[in-house]
Amino acid sequence: MNAAAEVSGLATGDLLADARAKAEFLQVRDADPAADDTALRRLALWATRYTPTASPWNEANGADGFFLDIAGSAHLFGGEEKLLADLAAKLQKKFGLPARLAVADTPGAAWALSRFHKTPLFVLPSGQEAAALAPLPIAALRLAPDTRATLRRLGFKTVGMLLDKPRAPFAARFPTELLRRVDQALGRIDEPLVPIVAPPVYHSLRYLLEPIFTHDAIIAHANRLMTTLVHVLTRDDVGARGLRLCLYNVDGAVEAIDIGLTLPTRDVAHVARLIALKLEALAATCDAGFGFEAIGLAVTCAEPMPARQTELTSVTDDGDRTERCASLIDALRQRLGPHSVRRFEPVASHLPERAEVLPPLDGKATAWPEPEQKPRPLLLLPHAEPAEDVTALVPDGPPRRFSWRGVTYDVTGAQGPERIGAEWWRHREPKPTRDYYLVEDSGGHRFWLFREGLYGRETAAARWFVHGLFA
Amino acid sequence: MTEPTALAVARNRAVVMAELRRLMPRMGEERKALPFSLAAIDSHLPDGGLTCGALHEIVPAAEVCIAAAFGFIAAILARLAYPLLFVMPAYGLRPYRPHGRLHGHGLNALGLDPARLILVETAHRKETLWAMEEAVRSAAPAAVVGVIDTLDLKLSQRLHLAATDAGLPVFLLRPAPTLESSAAATRWRVGTAKAARDRFGLVTQPRWHLQLERCRNGRPGQWVVEYDHVAHRFSLAAALADFSRARGAGEKSIKQAS
Repeated sequence: MNAAAEVSGLATGDLLADARAKAEFLQVRDADPAADDTALRRLALWATRYTPTASPWNEANGADGFFLDIAGSAHLFGGEEKLLADLAAKLQKKFGLPARLAVADTPGAAWALSRFHKTPLFVLPSGQEAAALAPLPIAALRLAPDTRATLRRLGFKTVGMLLDKPRAPFAARFPTELLRRVDQALGRIDEPLVPIVAPPVYHSLRYLLEPIFTHDAIIAHANRLMTTLVHVLTRDDVGARGLRLCLYNVDGAVEAIDIGLTLPTRDVAHVARLIALKLEALAATCDAGFGFEAIGLAVTCAEPMPARQTELTSVTDDGDRTERCASLIDALRQRLGPHSVRRFEPVASHLPERAEVLPPLDGKATAWPEPEQKPRPLLLLPHAEPAEDVTALVPDGPPRRFSWRGVTYDVTGAQGPERIGAEWWRHREPKPTRDYYLVEDSGGHRFWLFREGLYGRETAAARWFVHGLFA
Repeated sequence: MTEPTALAVARNRAVVMAELRRLMPRMGEERKALPFSLAAIDSHLPDGGLTCGALHEIVPAAEVCIAAAFGFIAAILARLAYPLLFVMPAYGLRPYRPHGRLHGHGLNALGLDPARLILVETAHRKETLWAMEEAVRSAAPAAVVGVIDTLDLKLSQRLHLAATDAGLPVFLLRPAPTLESSAAATRWRVGTAKAARDRFGLVTQPRWHLQLERCRNGRPGQWVVEYDHVAHRFSLAAALADFSRARGAGEKSIKQAS
């Protein structure tokens, strides 16, 4: 309900016909909670410039505002009053939103005061929640409509009337919600806030006098932020394994760029390079728009990184190579995507197509078993491809001739069969058994063929497939 | 009259040589190489083996020989100890038809431990080139292998220079029917040959028909080699008589099976 609506005499809960009668210029749209939610999240993200812990209100809280945990960050803006004034001015100027703000020790009290206090900006001194809440209406306690209606029927109009009474009758007659909300508002029990982004371990933020646009400028500022972070990281003997670069656009949008690292690092140049690569990769989607007015760099994941002695001998060459490998993998990942760098991992399965996986490289390595005597191809086709015109001397013998991809091959030597049964525990329907042959043609090309189905038992007409190529 | 001048020239020459040595530090030092340990092949190559800081092109003789080309690269790299980086296009080996991907158990069978491989998948040629150059310049892996269908002279020079600076061997698999000139130090055309078999007709060692098409400061040549994956050793395949034996053995195995 904005000021214009109040002037026209509209009120929350009016029927549409009544509202149209009061203001005939009214245009009606369906409510779109999803879009509202998105907008609120954007606003909360924008507000992370004041503190990393911003938490948009959920449905129970009215879904029309957000909590900021400004403990420890208010002094950066010259105190709580100045922070509130700055926040209100920016919301009005940037988004055209008149805001009601309150600072209190508990989220419950802050919520109540922001809604029902006389002044739109209010800072509650510590420990005065009960006194401040007493004159406010019952609605200030964030209760369900039923509970509220019952309380009104019993004559409780303000929070103060509730606070004076003994607790036991309320506990007996009302849902636990009532006392929980009272306790939350007064700080007797905790009310956990769910932050919109995971709070960082270390955080550094810089406001810019002039908006910046270019990648070079962003990297230069990120470089300085990282330099400030390095001092703290060194003090705590940790290195960054995850970083988030937040770019606060002038128009209120926030671009967050996440960077993951293979090994913990404190290397400013390395981080700057990764950011440069990531920006390059994002060049198409990341829009500078009117420019960025603030830049934040947060360490989202930190891991212990013991100090290393500067090496005097070349014995540590191996460790050096591991580190170089890690930074190379980081760089490749930023530009090519997180899943582009992979390793081979064996799987205990006899089926060739299931015998290995390619998980993204993550520093772990699985030892491969000693190679077996059974032949395995160097290239495995994505799908076994049917071999046509297969002739064999006997139906369950090796092939003498086959054609694959339009070329006919004369087999001069065959080795096999190696019988690989289907994994019955994975399929409800029994799958046919395969007989694999290593087959060499007159030109020396070596193929891995299999015949599907046991002749005479599982199938009457066996089908042949090419599954791989040998070196 | 003449003697002092000659002396001056000689002294002058010494100074000039020292200056030249200072300017070109790489001239004097021995360049590292990966020898085949086969006098027949190594004598054709300038450094007694595949030069480490250089670009090497491997070309399959035909589309169906692609596995042999991969096998040849794997055989060379199997002797290196450190992590190896393979840059493979995610779209396959264009212009060839899809041949799947490297199979870890197949690499293992060739004596190359798959746990040492880092596989990088790229979406297009530009990314492949970038990833290869990035890897070479970092000098983190022991060798870099890439698959690229077309490559102009300038880009190949760039890769070759990066390889020279880092002292890493760089292998380019070129699935291309026609090849343009490039800055690579060697170009190998790899074809298949009938495998070595034991007396039971079982394949023991793969054989490849290697053709050294181009070699800077070396001589071209062609050989049929076989590779022992246990000892990581190349050897020249025995004479043709062996082929006929293999054929006989193959037919024997068929008879046994029937």
